Amino acid sequence: MATDAPQTDLTPEAITRFLEPLLVRTGRGQEATIPILQGIQHEYRHLPEEALRQASQRTGLRLADLIGVATFYHQFRLREVGRHSLRVCHGTACHVQGSENIHAAINRQLHIPENGDTTPDQTFTVEQVACLGCCTLAPAVQIDETTYGHLTADTIGAMVSDFLGNRQQALTDVDLIQHHQDHRRQGEIRVGLGSCCMAKGSDALFHSLRRTVKNFSLEVAVKRVGCVGMCHQTPIVEVRPAGGATAFYSKVGPAEAERIVRRHFPPPSLRRQLTGWFNRTLEGWVNPEAAARKNGHAALDFNGKPVTSFLGRQVRIATEGFGEMDPLDLDEYISQKGFVALGKALSSHPEANIAAITASGLRGRGGAGFPTGVKWARMRASVAVDGLKYVIVNGDEGDPGAFMNRMLMESFPFRVIEGMMIAAASVGAAEGFIYVRAEYPRAVSRLREAIQLLKARGFLGAKVMGSSFQFRVRVFEGAGAFVCGEETALIQSIEGHRGIPQLRPPYPVERGLWDRPTLINNVETLSLVPWIIRHGPEAFAQLGTEKSKGTKVFALAGKVDRTGLIEVPMGISLREIIEDIGGGVPGGKRFKAVQIGGPSGGCIPAALSEIPVDFEALAAAGAIMGSGGLIVLDEDDCMVDVARYFMSFLQKESCGECTFCRIGTMRMFEILDRLCSGKGVAADLDELRQLAGLTAQGSICGLGRTAANPVLSTLRHFLDEYEAHIAGRCPAGKCKGLIQYVVQDHCTGCTICAQRCPVGAIAATPYQRHEIDAALCTRCDVCRVECPENAVAIVSGGQPCTGHSRKEPRPQPLAHHE
Amino acid sequence: MSKLISLTIDGQPVEVPEGSTVLAAAQKLGIVIPTLCFLAGVKENHPSCMACVVRVNGEARLVPSCSTKVTAGMSVASETVEVKAARKAAMELLFSDHLGDCISVCQRVCPARMQIPAVIRLVAAGQMREAIALVKENVVFPGVLGRICRAPCQQGCRRSKYDGAVAIQLIEREVANQDSAAQEPYVPTCQPATGKRIAIIGAGATGLSAAFFLLKSGHACVVFDDHAEPGGQMRHGFSEAELPRAVLDAEIALIQRMGLEFRPGTRLGHDVRLAELREQFDAVVLAVGSMQKTDPAALGVETTTRTIRIEAANFQTSVRGVFAGGSAIRSNYDPARSVGDGRILAECVEAFFAGKPMQVVRQPFTSTIPKLTTEEYQQLAQGANATLSVRELITEAETAAGRCCHCDCRSANHCKLHHYGELYGADPKAFAGEHRRRFEFIRQPGGVIFEPGKCISCGICVELANQAQEPLGLTFVGRGFDVRIGVPLNQPLAEGLQRVGEQCVKHCPTSALTFAEDARNAVKG
Repeated sequence: MATDAPQTDLTPEAITRFLEPLLVRTGRGQEATIPILQGIQHEYRHLPEEALRQASQRTGLRLADLIGVATFYHQFRLREVGRHSLRVCHGTACHVQGSENIHAAINRQLHIPENGDTTPDQTFTVEQVACLGCCTLAPAVQIDETTYGHLTADTIGAMVSDFLGNRQQALTDVDLIQHHQDHRRQGEIRVGLGSCCMAKGSDALFHSLRRTVKNFSLEVAVKRVGCVGMCHQTPIVEVRPAGGATAFYSKVGPAEAERIVRRHFPPPSLRRQLTGWFNRTLEGWVNPEAAARKNGHAALDFNGKPVTSFLGRQVRIATEGFGEMDPLDLDEYISQKGFVALGKALSSHPEANIAAITASGLRGRGGAGFPTGVKWARMRASVAVDGLKYVIVNGDEGDPGAFMNRMLMESFPFRVIEGMMIAAASVGAAEGFIYVRAEYPRAVSRLREAIQLLKARGFLGAKVMGSSFQFRVRVFEGAGAFVCGEETALIQSIEGHRGIPQLRPPYPVERGLWDRPTLINNVETLSLVPWIIRHGPEAFAQLGTEKSKGTKVFALAGKVDRTGLIEVPMGISLREIIEDIGGGVPGGKRFKAVQIGGPSGGCIPAALSEIPVDFEALAAAGAIMGSGGLIVLDEDDCMVDVARYFMSFLQKESCGECTFCRIGTMRMFEILDRLCSGKGVAADLDELRQLAGLTAQGSICGLGRTAANPVLSTLRHFLDEYEAHIAGRCPAGKCKGLIQYVVQDHCTGCTICAQRCPVGAIAATPYQRHEIDAALCTRCDVCRVECPENAVAIVSGGQPCTGHSRKEPRPQPLAHHE
Repeated sequence: MSKLISLTIDGQPVEVPEGSTVLAAAQKLGIVIPTLCFLAGVKENHPSCMACVVRVNGEARLVPSCSTKVTAGMSVASETVEVKAARKAAMELLFSDHLGDCISVCQRVCPARMQIPAVIRLVAAGQMREAIALVKENVVFPGVLGRICRAPCQQGCRRSKYDGAVAIQLIEREVANQDSAAQEPYVPTCQPATGKRIAIIGAGATGLSAAFFLLKSGHACVVFDDHAEPGGQMRHGFSEAELPRAVLDAEIALIQRMGLEFRPGTRLGHDVRLAELREQFDAVVLAVGSMQKTDPAALGVETTTRTIRIEAANFQTSVRGVFAGGSAIRSNYDPARSVGDGRILAECVEAFFAGKPMQVVRQPFTSTIPKLTTEEYQQLAQGANATLSVRELITEAETAAGRCCHCDCRSANHCKLHHYGELYGADPKAFAGEHRRRFEFIRQPGGVIFEPGKCISCGICVELANQAQEPLGLTFVGRGFDVRIGVPLNQPLAEGLQRVGEQCVKHCPTSALTFAEDARNAVKG
């Protein structure tokens, strides 16, 4: 059982003993509000009243403010919870892969009471999380720090027992730091250790490889590298023997570590032991086709078509060095031209740097595409009363279906900080914050580690790189609020308030954090800056379209064969991304649409997939560039359901301040919910349009103003689906209120569906065609997935939903910390 | 001396000091922009209600005028169709999550619009003389209706969903009984004579009720009837057991004391003709009762198969200055409806005299509480008595009155949401949805009543408490649609508001915070 049992001594004295050192660490000002609450919750797993009272007394912070903040952010809990928190991801990719059914199945299998969220034995508290940012693992679940992907109703039990049985201390970044240069005489083995890769077991594999290398006394460096981008192939191992050919292996399990090491680095004393039998086995295993047949793990041919298609069109600027660099190896970063750009920027006039950024045509990658150079110039011109200005990196990547910024912060923390420092030096700021959302613990720890390393080497602090520039940076952990991605709300959050967006003007560059001029740039924007400074603006501007320059990082997920993290030049068409890079829709399904831009974006139909990745072109089609989530939808996806999904998300994430957003999004959600449950009427569409218009024009911040986009874009491109719902039919067979499961004539009566049905809606009648009791059926989809004969069909409005042919069997899930 | 900024609002130029808001500039021009969440000096830069939106420089998005600063040359659109539609919609959205009745259901469904909760509060307080006066603002025949009314009010009574309706009819009858037993039964003071004369055909509930209100306004009334005695259906349609004649006679006598002239045995079309009456009188009211007993041709106005044709907006017949109501315009008889029509007819005649006869008959503006859950009905029932000072309830009527939950709004007259909603013609049900606040009735020491269901989360009270440095204060709890205002750690409101409770009640833009005493003063027609 878990060793980190929650602190249960809630006596005032015990709480005092805990609080005092915490307050020394966090400070006692308003800006310490969120860190204090995080500290308390970390200790007690919730916020005990006594701790809040004492925190208020000891800091002078008003209890009212502490409660206001604690109830605003999702992370905080005011009541006790189970020992482990099981978070079911409801991100876009997970939603389209059936997260609602998974959530229901988890509740069922863990015996969560009807109106509760905690198992009767207090082991697990099941929560819904907006997006874990592991979209390529969809549907995903996180238990404490451990992520499980590709779940099915069938593998939930295995996941839980795995977690309870095998859980060991999670890897810390400190474990992974190795001066691998010292150990690589014979060669190097690289393992991607992004959060997604780790969720698929790359950390266990990493340790297994290290153990093997140590056991055999090999001088081989086992190197942790950042995100490899090819999420569909993880865990990926790259073996680089000194003087030998590089080999790649995909989907490798820890058990295979030894064989891989032996294959490429046979110790002399062992060579004789390699019997013919062993050789044959090994050869058989590394033969890709044979291996694929045998166990699904394949040696990956990087010259093969799928890989070249995936990598071929990509251009690495923000993700330069992907799959090669250790995220926290500062020497390696420096050897790869790290901090060359900062040095160049520090020796240039700040205005020249801004001019370069302006000339590059760089636009903000957070979504709206505001010209970065213009923002910097305004910031530079802005006068601070006391001379203090701030730079904030916006890493509050809250869009469900997006994980680009997480990957950049986890894999390239030095680059993010270098970009930030170039910005700071150019606009005259000496202090900065990196605001990272709560759901990205690994990004937080790697950034903090990177900052320590940079401080130790004189890249941070006074006289950076021998110049007069000084810079101090802190990581600020968000606490679970999508709206804090909005820059004024983000500032409120750092200041220790509820994340309520403020009316602009004044803009943050005029009056931001603590009323001082504040530059807020997105992670990806700043990650592009060092390359631009190093290569010059022209090189960047050569890429892309007339108004959208450079590259864009996308998280490619959903119904696409090769999911992953990609960086492509602007101007590439959506079709090229989905078909060429992503390999198209799997299982022979029809590509229907692509959701781009998250909750502020829209759905672009397949017919318009030649649209280039370009701010203006996407806007004209009713979507937005957004931060970079690309969710591919196929014929099984209902567009009304997608609109409902986003409205549900936005309604939950609205800060609740202004009327149109607070109530308008709820009323829109209710209408969409009505449509999806078969209770819609024709007048609903008019009311939906009216509310969409009102919310767009009358809301204070970007969240509200763009909240209707998913609705408007689906109304525009998929009106027929809305009309079908009003007529009582969900063409995609998705909306539970409008569909029925029926068993077709070719049923062999094998009773598997009857055995698996969680609600007993199917009678076990061997050798007879089964029947599903529609009144009992909860439309959980288990019978259809389980039926070996593919005899369960979905019917809506009296017609079969042909899209739902049998789904591809999913890869086994269970992969995580060893 | 700060710089002056010039701008235009709806084309009108105005100059205000730099740093002023658009709202302030509009006020200088006398343009009324609705505000709910704004409180000068307290809550200025955190817009939430969006009732004050304006359009600046033709931009697509609207901005809240209360927090938008003026800039030189700014062109503001305020009183335009689109802007007003957005304000109206903002209020309609607020209404959709505003769990309150401006007017209680009982009063709303009463055909005579008796101000039931207010009457009940007076009865419970033992103020019977005030009670009869308030009853007679709408109902001339409380003794009669207290016996023969079908009492739709009791079907509408929210308490009927919990443990049985309040005995409203009993209360009404008792108020009437006590009045008639008094030495000096209540007769309203009539306005000085106007010199106007009205002929009323039919001495039934409608005709006599119309006469009562017209007499009260100082007009002279002559009531014609083909029977020998006044009373119409009230006299001829009920048994003595159902309605003792003495009760009817007493209530008619009180109208006669106000100067009513009664001409019995006179039949329209035979003894007197409409054209003559129209010449001799300033207005004519046709309250002839059911058309089944009347020859339409004899009336001299247009009729349909069963009723006299009238304009729904002002009850005027096809002949100018001739009005009709009661059973003559309806397909079935309802004594309370007839009594109510009498008052409406009086209003229509007065509007006609004032030269403003267009839209007289209006549905009163009200927000509506939807169907509640059992627990909520329980809360509601527990709120009974809470609004009144503690007093021993002795009589049957008082005991009945003590059961009233006072679902009506204690401060609809001060509610800004009600005021602007009515002004903007908002439909409180326009965006009615499934998700809503819960009904809660929280009585605080110090006589403050907190009804979170009526709160629109404007935050004025939070800000007042904050600025007064209340030791505990108030805060927003939660976020999004479910954001609520509360005291930290669920402490009582009185703990949170030790210093500024009174100001919070005063500045609450709705009636989420009220004083229990306001209830007694709350009278809303």
